[in-house]
Amino acid sequence: MTIASMQGVVKRYSSDIALDYVDLDIQEGEIIGLLGPNGAGKTTLIQTLTGMTPFERGKVELFGQSKNPFSIQNKERMGLVTQEITVFEELTARENLHFFAGVYGLKGEEKKRRVEEALEFVGLGDKGAKMPTKFSGGMKRRLNIACALTHQPRFLIMDEPTVGIDPQSRNYILETVKKLRENGTTILYTTHYMEEVQAIATRVVIMDQGQIIKEGTVEELIKTVQHEEKMKIDVTDADSVPINDLEKIAGVKKVVLSGSQITIISAVGSGNLDRILTLVKEYTGVLGIQADKPNLEDVFLTLTGKQLRDKGEE
Amino acid sequence: MRVLSTIKFTVLRMVRNYIVLLLLLVVPILLITFFSYILSGVTTETGVPLRDENAMQMVLVFQLFGGSIVMYMIYNDLFTENKMRIYSLPFNQTMYAFSIMLCGAVYSILLGVILMVYAQLVLGVVWGNWVWTIYIISLMAILSIIVCLIFTFSVKKYKIAERLSEVYGVGFVLLAGFFFPMPENAFFDFFGTYGNPLTLSIGAVHEMDQSNLGEAWFQANILLGAIIILFMVMLILGRRRMG
Repeated sequence: MTIASMQGVVKRYSSDIALDYVDLDIQEGEIIGLLGPNGAGKTTLIQTLTGMTPFERGKVELFGQSKNPFSIQNKERMGLVTQEITVFEELTARENLHFFAGVYGLKGEEKKRRVEEALEFVGLGDKGAKMPTKFSGGMKRRLNIACALTHQPRFLIMDEPTVGIDPQSRNYILETVKKLRENGTTILYTTHYMEEVQAIATRVVIMDQGQIIKEGTVEELIKTVQHEEKMKIDVTDADSVPINDLEKIAGVKKVVLSGSQITIISAVGSGNLDRILTLVKEYTGVLGIQADKPNLEDVFLTLTGKQLRDKGEE
Repeated sequence: MRVLSTIKFTVLRMVRNYIVLLLLLVVPILLITFFSYILSGVTTETGVPLRDENAMQMVLVFQLFGGSIVMYMIYNDLFTENKMRIYSLPFNQTMYAFSIMLCGAVYSILLGVILMVYAQLVLGVVWGNWVWTIYIISLMAILSIIVCLIFTFSVKKYKIAERLSEVYGVGFVLLAGFFFPMPENAFFDFFGTYGNPLTLSIGAVHEMDQSNLGEAWFQANILLGAIIILFMVMLILGRRRMG
Protein backbone atom coordinates (compact mmCIF):
# COMPACT_ATOMS: atom_id res chain seq x y z
CA MET A 1 0.00 0.00 0.00
CA THR A 2 1.21 3.50 -0.82
CA ILE A 3 1.45 5.49 2.41
CA ALA A 4 2.48 8.80 0.86
CA SER A 5 2.79 10.03 -2.67
CA MET A 6 3.95 13.27 -4.26
CA GLN A 7 3.38 13.91 -7.93
CA GLY A 8 4.95 16.83 -9.75
CA VAL A 9 5.11 18.96 -6.62
CA VAL A 10 6.56 22.44 -7.10
CA LYS A 11 7.37 24.85 -4.27
CA ARG A 12 9.12 28.20 -4.57
CA TYR A 13 10.35 30.67 -1.98
CA SER A 14 10.13 33.91 -3.98
CA SER A 15 12.47 33.23 -6.91
CA ASP A 16 14.24 30.22 -5.36
CA ILE A 17 12.86 26.84 -6.27
CA ALA A 18 12.75 24.54 -3.25
CA LEU A 19 10.89 21.61 -4.83
CA ASP A 20 11.21 21.19 -8.56
CA TYR A 21 8.54 18.81 -9.89
CA VAL A 22 9.15 16.22 -7.19
CA ASP A 23 7.70 12.72 -7.66
CA LEU A 24 7.95 10.34 -4.71
CA ASP A 25 6.06 7.24 -3.60
CA ILE A 26 6.51 5.75 -0.15
CA GLN A 27 5.27 2.21 0.33
CA GLU A 28 4.13 0.69 3.61
CA GLY A 29 6.96 -0.80 5.69
CA GLU A 30 9.77 1.06 3.92
CA ILE A 31 12.53 3.11 5.48
CA ILE A 32 13.23 5.77 2.92
CA GLY A 33 16.60 7.42 3.37
CA LEU A 34 16.27 10.93 1.97
CA LEU A 35 19.79 12.10 1.30
CA GLY A 36 20.98 15.52 0.30
CA PRO A 37 23.24 18.38 1.28
CA ASN A 38 22.03 21.40 3.26
CA GLY A 39 19.58 23.36 1.16
CA ALA A 40 18.69 20.43 -1.09
CA GLY A 41 14.99 20.73 -0.25
CA LYS A 42 14.65 17.90 2.27
CA THR A 43 12.94 19.97 4.97
CA THR A 44 10.67 21.65 2.43
CA LEU A 45 9.66 18.20 1.19
CA ILE A 46 8.77 17.24 4.76
CA GLN A 47 6.87 20.46 5.33
CA THR A 48 4.91 19.79 2.17
CA LEU A 49 4.17 16.21 3.20
CA THR A 50 2.91 17.32 6.61
CA GLY A 51 0.76 20.10 5.14
CA MET A 52 2.74 22.88 6.79
CA THR A 53 3.79 24.53 3.57
CA PRO A 54 1.39 25.06 0.70
CA PHE A 55 2.75 24.02 -2.69
CA GLU A 56 2.14 25.67 -6.04
CA ARG A 57 1.68 22.71 -8.34
CA GLY A 58 1.30 18.97 -8.19
CA LYS A 59 -0.51 16.55 -5.93
CA VAL A 60 0.11 15.08 -2.49
CA GLU A 61 -1.65 11.92 -1.37
CA LEU A 62 -1.54 10.49 2.13
CA PHE A 63 -2.99 7.09 3.10
CA GLY A 64 -4.76 7.00 -0.25
CA GLN A 65 -6.46 10.38 0.25
CA SER A 66 -5.75 13.14 -2.21
CA LYS A 67 -8.78 15.38 -1.59
CA ASN A 68 -7.88 16.41 1.95
CA PRO A 69 -4.57 14.70 2.62
CA PHE A 70 -3.76 16.82 5.67
CA SER A 71 -6.96 16.00 7.55
CA ILE A 72 -6.96 15.52 11.32
CA GLN A 73 -7.45 11.77 10.75
CA ASN A 74 -4.34 11.56 8.59
CA LYS A 75 -2.32 13.70 11.00
CA GLU A 76 -3.25 11.22 13.73
CA ARG A 77 -1.56 8.46 11.74
CA MET A 78 1.63 10.43 11.26
CA GLY A 79 4.48 11.37 13.55
CA LEU A 80 7.12 14.02 13.03
CA VAL A 81 10.56 14.10 14.59
CA THR A 82 11.81 17.61 13.96
CA GLN A 83 15.36 18.57 13.08
CA GLU A 84 15.50 20.96 16.03
CA ILE A 85 14.80 19.68 19.52
CA THR A 86 11.19 20.72 20.02
CA VAL A 87 10.34 19.61 23.53
CA PHE A 88 8.98 21.87 26.26
CA GLU A 89 11.80 22.72 28.62
CA GLU A 90 9.42 23.65 31.45
CA LEU A 91 7.91 20.15 31.46
CA THR A 92 9.50 16.89 32.57
CA ALA A 93 10.20 14.19 29.99
CA ARG A 94 7.08 12.31 31.08
CA GLU A 95 4.91 15.45 31.01
CA ASN A 96 6.15 16.23 27.52
CA LEU A 97 4.99 12.82 26.33
CA HIS A 98 1.65 13.22 28.13
CA PHE A 99 1.15 16.54 26.31
CA PHE A 100 1.64 14.95 22.89
CA ALA A 101 -0.24 11.75 23.77
CA GLY A 102 -3.23 13.86 24.87
CA VAL A 103 -3.23 15.82 21.62
CA TYR A 104 -3.31 12.53 19.73
CA GLY A 105 -6.46 11.60 21.65
CA LEU A 106 -5.01 9.07 24.09
CA LYS A 107 -6.66 8.97 27.50
CA GLY A 108 -6.47 7.40 30.94
CA GLU A 109 -4.57 4.17 31.50
CA GLU A 110 -3.82 3.70 27.82
CA LYS A 111 -2.13 7.09 27.71
CA LYS A 112 -0.04 6.29 30.79
CA ARG A 113 0.98 2.93 29.35
CA ARG A 114 1.92 4.38 25.96
CA VAL A 115 3.95 7.16 27.57
CA GLU A 116 5.93 4.68 29.67
CA GLU A 117 6.42 2.45 26.61
CA ALA A 118 7.72 5.36 24.56
CA LEU A 119 10.12 6.37 27.35
CA GLU A 120 11.40 2.77 27.60
CA PHE A 121 11.66 2.52 23.83
CA VAL A 122 14.10 5.42 23.63
CA GLY A 123 16.00 4.34 26.74
CA LEU A 124 14.69 7.06 29.04
CA GLY A 125 12.55 4.80 31.22
CA ASP A 126 14.24 5.95 34.42
CA LYS A 127 14.51 9.61 33.40
CA GLY A 128 10.80 10.41 33.03
CA ALA A 129 10.68 12.74 36.03
CA LYS A 130 13.65 14.83 34.89
CA MET A 131 13.55 18.14 33.08
CA PRO A 132 14.98 18.12 29.54
CA THR A 133 17.33 20.93 30.61
CA LYS A 134 19.18 18.31 32.71
CA PHE A 135 19.57 15.99 29.69
CA SER A 136 22.60 15.55 27.45
CA GLY A 137 22.23 16.37 23.75
CA GLY A 138 21.70 12.70 22.90
CA MET A 139 19.04 12.23 25.58
CA LYS A 140 17.20 15.34 24.36
CA ARG A 141 17.26 13.90 20.83
CA ARG A 142 15.80 10.63 22.11
CA LEU A 143 13.07 12.50 23.99
CA ASN A 144 12.39 14.45 20.80
CA ILE A 145 11.84 11.11 19.04
CA ALA A 146 9.68 9.70 21.85
CA CYS A 147 7.31 12.69 21.56
CA ALA A 148 6.38 11.44 18.09
CA LEU A 149 5.91 7.81 19.15
CA THR A 150 3.28 7.70 21.91
CA HIS A 151 0.43 7.41 19.41
CA GLN A 152 2.25 4.67 17.47
CA PRO A 153 2.16 6.38 14.06
CA ARG A 154 1.89 4.35 10.88
CA PHE A 155 4.08 6.85 9.08
CA LEU A 156 6.97 8.52 10.87
CA ILE A 157 8.94 11.39 9.38
CA MET A 158 12.36 11.97 10.91
CA ASP A 159 14.11 15.15 9.87
CA GLU A 160 17.84 14.80 10.57
CA PRO A 161 17.27 13.28 14.02
CA THR A 162 20.96 12.72 14.77
CA VAL A 163 22.39 16.19 14.13
CA GLY A 164 25.00 17.21 16.67
CA ILE A 165 25.11 14.12 18.89
CA ASP A 166 27.78 11.64 19.94
CA PRO A 167 28.30 8.35 18.01
CA GLN A 168 26.86 6.26 20.86
CA SER A 169 23.57 8.16 20.91
CA ARG A 170 23.51 8.07 17.11
CA ASN A 171 23.79 4.28 17.11
CA TYR A 172 21.03 4.08 19.72
CA ILE A 173 18.75 6.18 17.52
CA LEU A 174 19.53 4.10 14.43
CA GLU A 175 18.70 0.91 16.36
CA THR A 176 15.45 2.57 17.48
CA VAL A 177 14.57 3.31 13.86
CA LYS A 178 15.19 -0.33 12.91
CA LYS A 179 12.98 -1.51 15.80
CA LEU A 180 10.21 0.85 14.68
CA ARG A 181 10.29 -0.65 11.21
CA GLU A 182 10.11 -4.15 12.70
CA ASN A 183 6.94 -2.96 14.48
CA GLY A 184 5.45 -1.99 11.12
CA THR A 185 6.12 1.75 10.99
CA THR A 186 6.89 3.31 7.62
CA ILE A 187 9.70 5.81 7.97
CA LEU A 188 10.97 8.75 5.94
CA TYR A 189 14.43 9.47 7.31
CA THR A 190 16.27 12.56 6.10
CA THR A 191 19.93 13.06 6.77
CA HIS A 192 23.13 14.20 5.22
CA TYR A 193 25.06 11.38 6.87
CA MET A 194 25.53 8.78 4.16
CA GLU A 195 26.57 6.06 6.63
CA GLU A 196 23.22 6.35 8.46
CA VAL A 197 21.31 5.77 5.26
CA GLN A 198 23.54 2.81 4.39
CA ALA A 199 22.81 1.33 7.82
CA ILE A 200 19.02 1.59 7.91
CA ALA A 201 17.38 2.50 4.60
CA THR A 202 15.50 0.01 2.47
CA ARG A 203 15.45 2.60 -0.32
CA VAL A 204 17.50 5.71 -0.86
CA VAL A 205 16.29 8.92 -2.47
CA ILE A 206 18.93 11.48 -3.39
CA MET A 207 17.92 15.13 -3.58
CA ASP A 208 19.76 18.17 -4.80
CA GLN A 209 18.56 21.66 -5.67
CA GLY A 210 14.94 20.70 -5.10
CA GLN A 211 15.02 17.70 -7.41
CA ILE A 212 15.08 13.97 -6.82
CA ILE A 213 18.06 13.01 -8.89
CA LYS A 214 18.29 9.29 -8.16
CA GLU A 215 16.54 6.61 -6.15
CA GLY A 216 16.99 2.93 -5.47
CA THR A 217 18.37 0.53 -2.89
CA VAL A 218 21.86 1.19 -1.55
CA GLU A 219 23.19 -1.72 -3.67
CA GLU A 220 21.48 -0.47 -6.82
CA LEU A 221 22.89 3.00 -6.40
CA ILE A 222 26.42 1.80 -5.71
CA LYS A 223 26.23 -0.41 -8.82
CA THR A 224 25.76 2.70 -10.91
CA VAL A 225 29.27 3.84 -10.00
CA GLN A 226 30.98 0.43 -10.06
CA HIS A 227 32.65 1.30 -13.30
CA GLU A 228 34.30 4.19 -11.55
CA GLU A 229 37.12 4.48 -9.08
CA LYS A 230 37.86 7.14 -6.55
CA MET A 231 41.12 8.55 -5.36
CA LYS A 232 41.76 11.12 -2.71
CA ILE A 233 44.92 13.20 -2.78
CA ASP A 234 45.97 15.32 0.20
CA VAL A 235 47.93 18.37 -0.91
CA THR A 236 49.94 21.08 0.80
CA ASP A 237 48.47 24.03 -1.08
CA ALA A 238 44.85 23.55 -2.10
CA ASP A 239 44.60 26.94 -3.81
CA SER A 240 47.14 25.92 -6.44
CA VAL A 241 45.34 22.74 -7.53
CA PRO A 242 44.71 22.90 -11.32
CA ILE A 243 41.13 21.63 -11.23
CA ASN A 244 40.31 22.54 -14.83
CA ASP A 245 43.41 20.77 -16.13
CA LEU A 246 42.65 17.69 -14.02
CA GLU A 247 39.12 17.52 -15.44
CA LYS A 248 40.56 17.47 -18.95
CA ILE A 249 42.57 14.27 -18.34
CA ALA A 250 41.07 11.32 -20.20
CA GLY A 251 38.81 9.18 -18.00
CA VAL A 252 38.39 11.78 -15.25
CA LYS A 253 34.71 12.30 -14.51
CA LYS A 254 34.65 14.54 -11.49
CA VAL A 255 37.13 16.60 -9.49
CA VAL A 256 36.10 18.01 -6.15
CA LEU A 257 38.28 20.08 -3.83
CA SER A 258 37.35 19.94 -0.17
CA GLY A 259 39.72 21.55 2.31
CA SER A 260 43.19 20.33 1.41
CA GLN A 261 41.89 17.15 -0.22
CA ILE A 262 41.15 16.54 -3.90
CA THR A 263 38.65 13.79 -4.67
CA ILE A 264 38.82 12.46 -8.22
CA ILE A 265 36.31 10.08 -9.75
CA SER A 266 37.54 8.44 -12.93
CA ALA A 267 36.66 5.51 -15.14
CA VAL A 268 37.93 2.11 -14.02
CA GLY A 269 41.11 1.07 -15.87
CA SER A 270 41.75 4.44 -17.41
CA GLY A 271 45.31 4.26 -16.02
CA ASN A 272 45.50 7.96 -15.44
CA LEU A 273 46.83 7.96 -11.87
CA ASP A 274 50.35 8.76 -13.10
CA ARG A 275 49.18 11.68 -15.21
CA ILE A 276 47.01 13.04 -12.38
CA LEU A 277 49.85 12.87 -9.86
CA THR A 278 52.37 14.42 -12.22
CA LEU A 279 50.01 17.31 -12.91
CA VAL A 280 49.19 17.87 -9.24
CA LYS A 281 52.88 17.75 -8.26
CA GLU A 282 53.66 20.49 -10.79
CA TYR A 283 51.53 22.92 -8.75
CA THR A 284 51.61 21.69 -5.15
CA GLY A 285 53.13 19.15 -2.76
CA VAL A 286 51.41 15.79 -2.26
CA LEU A 287 51.00 14.58 1.33
CA GLY A 288 49.12 11.36 0.70
CA ILE A 289 47.06 9.31 -1.74
CA GLN A 290 44.16 7.03 -1.01
CA ALA A 291 42.08 4.81 -3.31
CA ASP A 292 38.62 3.62 -2.20
CA LYS A 293 35.83 1.40 -3.45
CA PRO A 294 32.82 3.49 -4.37
CA ASN A 295 30.14 4.05 -1.75
CA LEU A 296 26.93 6.05 -1.47
CA GLU A 297 28.89 9.26 -0.97
CA ASP A 298 30.56 8.65 -4.35
CA VAL A 299 27.18 8.13 -5.96
CA PHE A 300 26.22 11.53 -4.68
CA LEU A 301 29.52 13.05 -5.74
CA THR A 302 29.19 11.62 -9.24
CA LEU A 303 25.60 12.81 -9.58
CA THR A 304 26.00 16.31 -8.21
CA GLY A 305 29.70 17.12 -8.10
CA LYS A 306 29.24 18.00 -4.40
CA GLN A 307 30.21 16.47 -1.09
CA LEU A 308 27.23 15.47 1.05
CA ARG A 309 28.48 17.63 3.88
CA ASP A 310 31.20 20.14 4.42
CA LYS A 311 34.40 19.07 6.15
CA GLY A 312 33.40 21.14 9.16
CA GLU A 313 30.20 19.15 9.61
CA GLU A 314 31.94 15.81 9.94
CA MET B 1 -11.52 19.39 21.66
CA ARG B 2 -8.00 17.97 21.84
CA VAL B 3 -6.78 21.42 22.89
CA LEU B 4 -8.38 20.92 26.32
CA SER B 5 -5.81 18.23 27.08
CA THR B 6 -3.02 20.79 26.68
CA ILE B 7 -4.36 23.28 29.25
CA LYS B 8 -2.90 21.47 32.26
CA PHE B 9 0.54 21.58 30.65
CA THR B 10 0.20 25.21 29.59
CA VAL B 11 -0.54 26.12 33.22
CA LEU B 12 2.42 24.04 34.42
CA ARG B 13 4.70 25.79 31.95
CA MET B 14 3.49 29.20 33.15
CA VAL B 15 3.89 28.36 36.82
CA ARG B 16 7.41 27.03 36.20
CA ASN B 17 8.51 30.18 34.43
CA TYR B 18 10.25 31.52 37.51
CA ILE B 19 11.35 34.81 35.95
CA VAL B 20 7.72 35.74 35.30
CA LEU B 21 6.81 34.72 38.85
CA LEU B 22 9.65 36.85 40.15
CA LEU B 23 8.59 39.88 38.12
CA LEU B 24 4.83 39.60 38.56
CA LEU B 25 4.62 38.30 42.11
CA VAL B 26 7.82 38.61 44.13
CA VAL B 27 8.79 42.13 42.98
CA PRO B 28 5.30 43.62 43.59
CA ILE B 29 5.12 41.93 47.00
CA LEU B 30 8.45 43.49 47.92
CA LEU B 31 7.42 46.91 46.62
CA ILE B 32 4.00 46.85 48.29
CA THR B 33 5.60 45.79 51.58
CA PHE B 34 8.36 48.41 51.32
CA PHE B 35 5.98 51.26 50.54
CA SER B 36 3.42 50.16 53.14
CA TYR B 37 6.06 50.64 55.84
CA ILE B 38 7.15 54.00 54.44
CA LEU B 39 3.57 55.23 54.06
CA SER B 40 2.32 53.77 57.31
CA GLY B 41 0.00 56.26 59.06
CA VAL B 42 -0.14 58.71 56.13
CA THR B 43 -3.57 59.42 54.66
CA THR B 44 -4.87 61.11 51.52
CA GLU B 45 -6.99 64.29 51.53
CA THR B 46 -10.10 62.09 51.66
CA GLY B 47 -8.77 60.19 54.65
CA VAL B 48 -7.86 56.98 52.81
CA PRO B 49 -4.58 55.50 54.06
CA LEU B 50 -1.88 56.11 51.41
CA ARG B 51 -0.70 52.55 52.03
CA ASP B 52 -4.03 51.21 50.63
CA GLU B 53 -3.88 53.59 47.70
CA ASN B 54 -0.32 52.53 46.91
CA ALA B 55 -1.13 48.78 47.16
CA MET B 56 -4.03 49.15 44.72
CA GLN B 57 -1.88 51.10 42.28
CA MET B 58 0.92 48.52 42.48
CA VAL B 59 -1.44 45.63 41.78
CA LEU B 60 -2.80 47.42 38.71
CA VAL B 61 0.63 48.62 37.51
CA PHE B 62 1.94 45.05 37.37
CA GLN B 63 -1.08 43.94 35.37
CA LEU B 64 0.33 46.09 32.54
CA PHE B 65 3.13 43.53 32.25
CA GLY B 66 0.94 40.42 32.65
CA GLY B 67 0.83 39.72 28.93
CA SER B 68 4.53 38.90 28.74
CA ILE B 69 4.09 35.20 29.59
CA VAL B 70 1.43 34.68 26.90
CA MET B 71 3.54 36.59 24.41
CA TYR B 72 6.54 34.37 25.18
CA MET B 73 4.59 31.12 24.95
CA ILE B 74 2.76 31.94 21.73
CA TYR B 75 5.98 33.09 20.13
CA ASN B 76 7.85 30.03 21.38
CA ASP B 77 5.23 27.51 20.26
CA LEU B 78 4.00 29.03 17.03
CA PHE B 79 6.82 31.14 15.61
CA THR B 80 10.07 29.33 16.44
CA GLU B 81 11.39 25.89 15.47
CA ASN B 82 8.54 24.41 17.59
CA LYS B 83 6.11 25.62 14.94
CA MET B 84 6.78 22.61 12.73
CA ARG B 85 5.88 20.11 15.44
CA ILE B 86 2.84 22.07 16.68
CA TYR B 87 1.49 22.37 13.12
CA SER B 88 1.94 18.64 12.53
CA LEU B 89 -0.34 17.82 15.49
CA PRO B 90 -3.98 16.83 14.93
CA PHE B 91 -5.58 19.86 16.57
CA ASN B 92 -6.62 23.39 15.71
CA GLN B 93 -3.62 25.67 16.16
CA THR B 94 -5.75 28.81 16.50
CA MET B 95 -7.68 27.20 19.35
CA TYR B 96 -4.37 26.27 20.92
CA ALA B 97 -3.26 29.92 20.77
CA PHE B 98 -6.56 30.98 22.37
CA SER B 99 -6.12 28.39 25.11
CA ILE B 100 -2.71 29.88 25.93
CA MET B 101 -4.30 33.35 26.01
CA LEU B 102 -7.03 32.15 28.33
CA CYS B 103 -4.60 30.40 30.67
CA GLY B 104 -2.39 33.50 30.66
CA ALA B 105 -5.32 35.76 31.57
CA VAL B 106 -6.42 33.49 34.43
CA TYR B 107 -2.82 33.21 35.64
CA SER B 108 -2.31 36.97 35.57
CA ILE B 109 -5.60 37.60 37.39
CA LEU B 110 -4.68 34.95 39.95
CA LEU B 111 -1.36 36.67 40.63
CA GLY B 112 -3.26 39.95 41.11
CA VAL B 113 -5.63 38.28 43.57
CA ILE B 114 -2.68 36.75 45.46
CA LEU B 115 -1.25 40.26 45.79
CA MET B 116 -4.60 41.52 47.10
CA VAL B 117 -4.85 38.70 49.63
CA TYR B 118 -1.25 39.26 50.75
CA ALA B 119 -1.80 43.01 51.12
CA GLN B 120 -4.95 42.49 53.19
CA LEU B 121 -3.80 39.61 55.40
CA VAL B 122 -0.20 40.66 55.98
CA LEU B 123 -0.24 44.43 55.66
CA GLY B 124 -3.84 45.15 56.65
CA VAL B 125 -4.73 46.91 53.39
CA VAL B 126 -8.47 47.38 53.07
CA TRP B 127 -9.86 46.64 49.61
CA GLY B 128 -13.23 48.20 49.07
CA ASN B 129 -15.18 46.10 46.62
CA TRP B 130 -13.28 42.86 46.01
CA VAL B 131 -15.38 41.67 43.09
CA TRP B 132 -15.10 45.02 41.32
CA THR B 133 -11.33 45.21 41.86
CA ILE B 134 -10.91 41.67 40.51
CA TYR B 135 -13.04 42.64 37.49
CA ILE B 136 -10.78 45.64 36.82
CA ILE B 137 -7.69 43.46 37.29
CA SER B 138 -9.18 41.03 34.75
CA LEU B 139 -9.72 43.83 32.21
CA MET B 140 -6.15 45.01 32.68
CA ALA B 141 -4.77 41.47 32.34
CA ILE B 142 -6.72 40.80 29.13
CA LEU B 143 -5.77 44.18 27.68
CA SER B 144 -2.09 43.55 28.39
CA ILE B 145 -2.23 40.13 26.71
CA ILE B 146 -3.93 41.54 23.62
CA VAL B 147 -1.48 44.45 23.33
CA CYS B 148 1.51 42.12 23.75
CA LEU B 149 0.15 39.79 21.07
CA ILE B 150 -0.44 42.69 18.69
CA PHE B 151 3.25 43.56 19.10
CA THR B 152 4.23 39.90 18.56
CA PHE B 153 2.15 39.61 15.40
CA SER B 154 3.11 42.95 13.91
CA VAL B 155 6.91 42.95 14.15
CA LYS B 156 9.22 40.31 12.74
CA LYS B 157 11.79 40.35 15.53
CA TYR B 158 10.54 39.05 18.85
CA LYS B 159 13.07 41.14 20.78
CA ILE B 160 11.49 44.28 19.35
CA ALA B 161 8.03 43.05 20.36
CA GLU B 162 9.35 42.46 23.88
CA ARG B 163 10.78 45.97 24.05
CA LEU B 164 7.49 47.42 22.77
CA SER B 165 5.58 45.57 25.47
CA GLU B 166 7.92 47.11 28.03
CA VAL B 167 7.33 50.53 26.51
CA TYR B 168 3.57 49.87 26.85
CA GLY B 169 3.96 49.06 30.55
CA VAL B 170 6.52 51.65 31.57
CA GLY B 171 5.08 54.26 29.21
CA PHE B 172 1.62 54.22 30.77
CA VAL B 173 3.07 54.30 34.28
CA LEU B 174 5.06 57.34 33.19
CA LEU B 175 2.07 58.99 31.54
CA ALA B 176 -0.01 58.38 34.66
CA GLY B 177 2.40 60.75 36.39
CA PHE B 178 3.78 58.18 38.83
CA PHE B 179 7.40 59.18 38.27
CA PHE B 180 6.95 62.93 37.72
CA PRO B 181 3.96 65.18 36.99
CA MET B 182 2.81 65.39 33.39
CA PRO B 183 2.43 68.84 31.75
CA GLU B 184 -0.93 70.39 32.42
CA ASN B 185 -2.58 70.89 29.03
CA ALA B 186 -5.69 69.67 27.26
CA PHE B 187 -3.97 66.75 25.54
CA PHE B 188 -2.40 65.27 28.66
CA ASP B 189 -5.58 65.92 30.67
CA PHE B 190 -7.75 64.14 28.12
CA PHE B 191 -5.27 61.31 27.60
CA GLY B 192 -4.74 60.87 31.32
CA THR B 193 -8.50 60.67 31.90
CA TYR B 194 -9.67 58.55 28.98
CA GLY B 195 -6.64 57.10 27.16
CA ASN B 196 -4.44 55.57 29.82
CA PRO B 197 -5.53 52.08 30.95
CA LEU B 198 -3.71 52.53 34.25
CA THR B 199 -5.46 55.77 35.20
CA LEU B 200 -8.77 54.37 33.93
CA SER B 201 -8.45 51.25 36.07
CA ILE B 202 -7.33 53.19 39.15
CA GLY B 203 -10.17 55.65 38.54
CA ALA B 204 -12.72 52.84 38.19
CA VAL B 205 -11.67 51.31 41.53
CA HIS B 206 -11.72 54.74 43.22
CA GLU B 207 -15.15 55.63 41.89
CA MET B 208 -16.56 52.30 43.02
CA ASP B 209 -15.05 52.84 46.49
CA GLN B 210 -16.87 56.18 46.64
CA SER B 211 -20.07 54.53 45.37
CA ASN B 212 -20.03 56.52 42.10
CA LEU B 213 -21.33 53.54 40.13
CA GLY B 214 -21.95 55.42 36.89
CA GLU B 215 -18.46 56.87 36.70
CA ALA B 216 -16.90 53.53 37.75
CA TRP B 217 -18.73 51.65 34.98
CA PHE B 218 -17.94 54.39 32.47
CA GLN B 219 -14.20 54.06 33.08
CA ALA B 220 -14.34 50.27 33.12
CA ASN B 221 -16.34 50.27 29.88
CA ILE B 222 -13.70 52.36 28.15
CA LEU B 223 -11.25 49.59 29.03
CA LEU B 224 -13.72 46.99 27.79
CA GLY B 225 -14.21 48.91 24.53
CA ALA B 226 -10.45 49.10 24.01
CA ILE B 227 -10.24 45.35 24.61
CA ILE B 228 -12.93 44.63 21.99
CA ILE B 229 -11.37 46.88 19.35
CA LEU B 230 -7.81 45.69 19.97
CA PHE B 231 -8.98 42.06 20.05
CA MET B 232 -10.25 42.46 16.49
CA VAL B 233 -6.97 44.09 15.46
CA MET B 234 -5.12 41.19 17.09
CA LEU B 235 -7.27 38.64 15.23
CA ILE B 236 -6.52 40.25 11.86
CA LEU B 237 -2.79 40.50 12.55
CA GLY B 238 -2.68 37.01 14.04
CA ARG B 239 -4.43 35.45 11.06
CA ARG B 240 -2.04 37.21 8.71
CA ARG B 241 1.00 36.08 10.68
CA MET B 242 -0.12 32.52 11.41
CA GLY B 243 -1.85 31.90 8.11
